[in-house]
Amino acid sequence: MKIFSKIMLVFMFLFLIVICVVEEEISSKSLFIVQNDCLRIENLTDGKENLQAMPITLAVDTLEYNWMNNESKLCYLTNHKSIQEIGVEIAKLKVYQQKNEIKEFNASLEAIKFYSKSYLHFMGASLHNVL
Amino acid sequence: MLTIVIRAILIYLVVLFVFRVMGKRQLGQMQPFELVLTLIIADLATIPMAEIGVPVLHGIIPLFTLVLLHFVFTLFSRWSTKFSMIISGKPVIVINPQGIDYKALKKLNVTIDDIFEAMRGLGYFSLEQVEYAIMETNGKISVLPKAEESPVTNKTMKFKVEASVIPVNIVSEGKVMKDNLNIAKIDEEFIKSFLRKNIGESAKIKNVLVMTIDKNGMVYLQMMNGSKKIFENVRRSA
Repeated sequence: MKIFSKIMLVFMFLFLIVICVVEEEISSKSLFIVQNDCLRIENLTDGKENLQAMPITLAVDTLEYNWMNNESKLCYLTNHKSIQEIGVEIAKLKVYQQKNEIKEFNASLEAIKFYSKSYLHFMGASLHNVL
Repeated sequence: MLTIVIRAILIYLVVLFVFRVMGKRQLGQMQPFELVLTLIIADLATIPMAEIGVPVLHGIIPLFTLVLLHFVFTLFSRWSTKFSMIISGKPVIVINPQGIDYKALKKLNVTIDDIFEAMRGLGYFSLEQVEYAIMETNGKISVLPKAEESPVTNKTMKFKVEASVIPVNIVSEGKVMKDNLNIAKIDEEFIKSFLRKNIGESAKIKNVLVMTIDKNGMVYLQMMNGSKKIFENVRRSA
């Protein structure tokens, strides 16, 4: 076997390992950040009547900023269409916050938490995904 | 649109690279597992090319995985004849001195017409001309003709012939094949002086369509605007 093919096969093998590890790492890290941000917002809004308070605005902005950063990384690994719901829900969340619509705000927050959990299912390596 | 253009180029390069790593077998020479691999690769490559939402990695990762699998299968096939037989099958004799082996044909799902077609492709138009026909693992049929139908060779006629030599292509469409100069043990200066001597003072390498030389010193030369010329016993020193 030619040395070129041998080197390339080793390269491919290492590339596959690196990509699998990186995918696992990035996807779990990104989605855990989303979940943590959501929990933080939940704690801040718990029992509050005014969603326009500065700490809540900052927390929502942080959630949006973190997700936009992580989404761009995840797009290298996953179909963009499969992970767009979180972005849509964050946009809604911001509107509900500005309009001080608590019920809708909480529903949106729950949706983001749900999507971040479900994304973890199809992004990671599991028997469900394989089959 | 630019994204699709760049993606197409990228995937084309990856597929080209994958086929280079896999080797140079052509479609007709492929073993079943290689054929399957080629078909899947063709399909995989088109998905990320046209779908912008799908990351290019979704096309590249399965390609690399399949190439590695192919490499592992090839390796195992080399190590174990049994494994090779499971993956690629084994050659089957479909025509023997007793005639067509119908059982073998049925097993292989091959018709008599297929056998005739393959025989005709090899230049045998009658079953009487064939002693054995073997269906190879890549689907091709090899034929051993009867002794009286075999082509006459120098050996059978007991002719004494000189060993065959392969001519080396030293100029192709005006370009000197530098790697081949070493094989032919000549340099560019030799070509220039040869052209000056045999074609004319104004003859240039860029006007040569093809020039070959073999180890017996036979030179085949054709200029772009001329007909072929053959020179024998050419000495390699300029």
